[in-house]
Amino acid sequence: MIIVALLLATQVAVQDPRLERLDPETRSSVIAIVDSAREMGLPSEPLVQRALEGATKGAAAPRIVAAVRRLAADLGTVRTVLGARASTPELEAAVAALRAGASVPVLASLRDARRGPLTMTLSVLADLVASGVPPDSAAAVVLALAPNARDVDLVEFRRAVERDIALGAPPAAAAAVRVNAGARPGTAASRP
Amino acid sequence: MFEQDDDIVERMIRQLRRPVSIDPGLDARVMGEIAAAAQPGKRRTWPWLAAAAAVLAVVVVTRPWTLDPGTSRADAFQFVLVAPQAASVSLVGDFNDWDPARSPMHTAHGVWATVVPLAPGRYRYAFLVNGVEWRADPAAPNAIDDEFGTPSSVVTVAGRGS
Amino acid sequence: MGIERVETGDAELVRRIRAGDIGAYGVLVARYRDRLGRYAVHMIGDREDAEEALQDSFVRAYRSLDRCNDPARFGAWLYGILVNRCRTTGARAARRRRLFVQDAEALNGASHADAMERLEWTDAVERALARLAPEYREAFLLKHVEDLEYEEIAELTGDGISALKMRVKRAREQLQKFLREAEHV
Repeated sequence: MIIVALLLATQVAVQDPRLERLDPETRSSVIAIVDSAREMGLPSEPLVQRALEGATKGAAAPRIVAAVRRLAADLGTVRTVLGARASTPELEAAVAALRAGASVPVLASLRDARRGPLTMTLSVLADLVASGVPPDSAAAVVLALAPNARDVDLVEFRRAVERDIALGAPPAAAAAVRVNAGARPGTAASRP
Repeated sequence: MFEQDDDIVERMIRQLRRPVSIDPGLDARVMGEIAAAAQPGKRRTWPWLAAAAAVLAVVVVTRPWTLDPGTSRADAFQFVLVAPQAASVSLVGDFNDWDPARSPMHTAHGVWATVVPLAPGRYRYAFLVNGVEWRADPAAPNAIDDEFGTPSSVVTVAGRGS
Repeated sequence: MGIERVETGDAELVRRIRAGDIGAYGVLVARYRDRLGRYAVHMIGDREDAEEALQDSFVRAYRSLDRCNDPARFGAWLYGILVNRCRTTGARAARRRRLFVQDAEALNGASHADAMERLEWTDAVERALARLAPEYREAFLLKHVEDLEYEEIAELTGDGISALKMRVKRAREQLQKFLREAEHV
């Protein structure tokens, strides 16, 4: 088992020269995490990028390793929810949404609510929370928009909410009012 | 009766005259299109950044139909930071291995900019000022986590590949 | 962020642009973006299409800047380009108009009921506009929202003044009717 791991580590080190930027100890820990992630069918690129981010920012080795490990775990979680066919951008966006407070059931609901890639939907959810919208409100509004909104609508929605917040609106209200403007009871369906 | 009817149209006019705020990123997109067409060797294209100083330019998010369906073709995105006191600014992120040497930014009149091709996906990034100071992009969404203790921003590119 | 903005007239900016200072065009863009954007948003009824039309118009204006005969009236000339560009998007307005309307006061401390009422009104306004024939909507917006004189409108649209006046009058009559109908729904 150790021999296999060493062999794999050598392969990765040869294949990915970027990891040379890490000190040897950090590098071997990161490679181990990347390899087991790969074995589980998870994408390695986000993990490599996270390690490189830590390296560039001069973070201490334990912090880099912890960050990479945490990301691998979260990627595993969201992949279970989104399924094996989820793309790397979808998984990364899902991790952001998860860390923004979207629960696994919420992620599952989004997956079921929408055909096509979920990247923008999940990103917007995470971005809204980053702007100050409470996680529950953000999840609720994105769930409301998910079935019918196009990706561009979601981006426009996020920008509009951020503008309103910048103008002084309370974040939860900003998100809720905008959703209500788009889908009101008694009006015709939102498609012609 | 006549006055009442007229009032309702006047009320409508007042509503329509209210300011409409357009995405300030439009300025960067316009100037980007114009600069891209400028002939090399004719004039420095970077002086147009002086105009961008009036605007906190944002990362351009491309509209899905500008990408070829079925391919993850990269489109060019412009990143801008206003930092008049800086001696150097680099753009670092998930799209360039967080390597400060890959996307140094160019400046005119305190406005720093660079253009980077991005395939569909979600990218964390930040600006490295003078090689030591980390700054998030004031005009972009913040990254949810900053587990290395410094701020980062996020850009999400829509497209078939995502 | 401590950015200084120096107010320079349009004519001087055009002069500089023609002399090779591309950057000066950015000032013009920033200067006219929101005002022209307002027209495009109401004329087209879709914010994204409107921003696309606006962007195209700015780029087109730059490329044909040598044809701007009176740089002091750059704004009016730019309007003409935008009005024409918006005409080509008109056909797409057949689908339901979606407008995320910026209404900060509705959000700041207003009760939910007030906010909803305000949004219904802004929605009724946009729907009424959408029901107008494009040439009526165009004339109405240019005259009453953008505050252009009939002479100016005639110049940028190429239409006769009396025809324009008739369109504006008809537009007002129809809008009145549509808004009353909306009230009784």
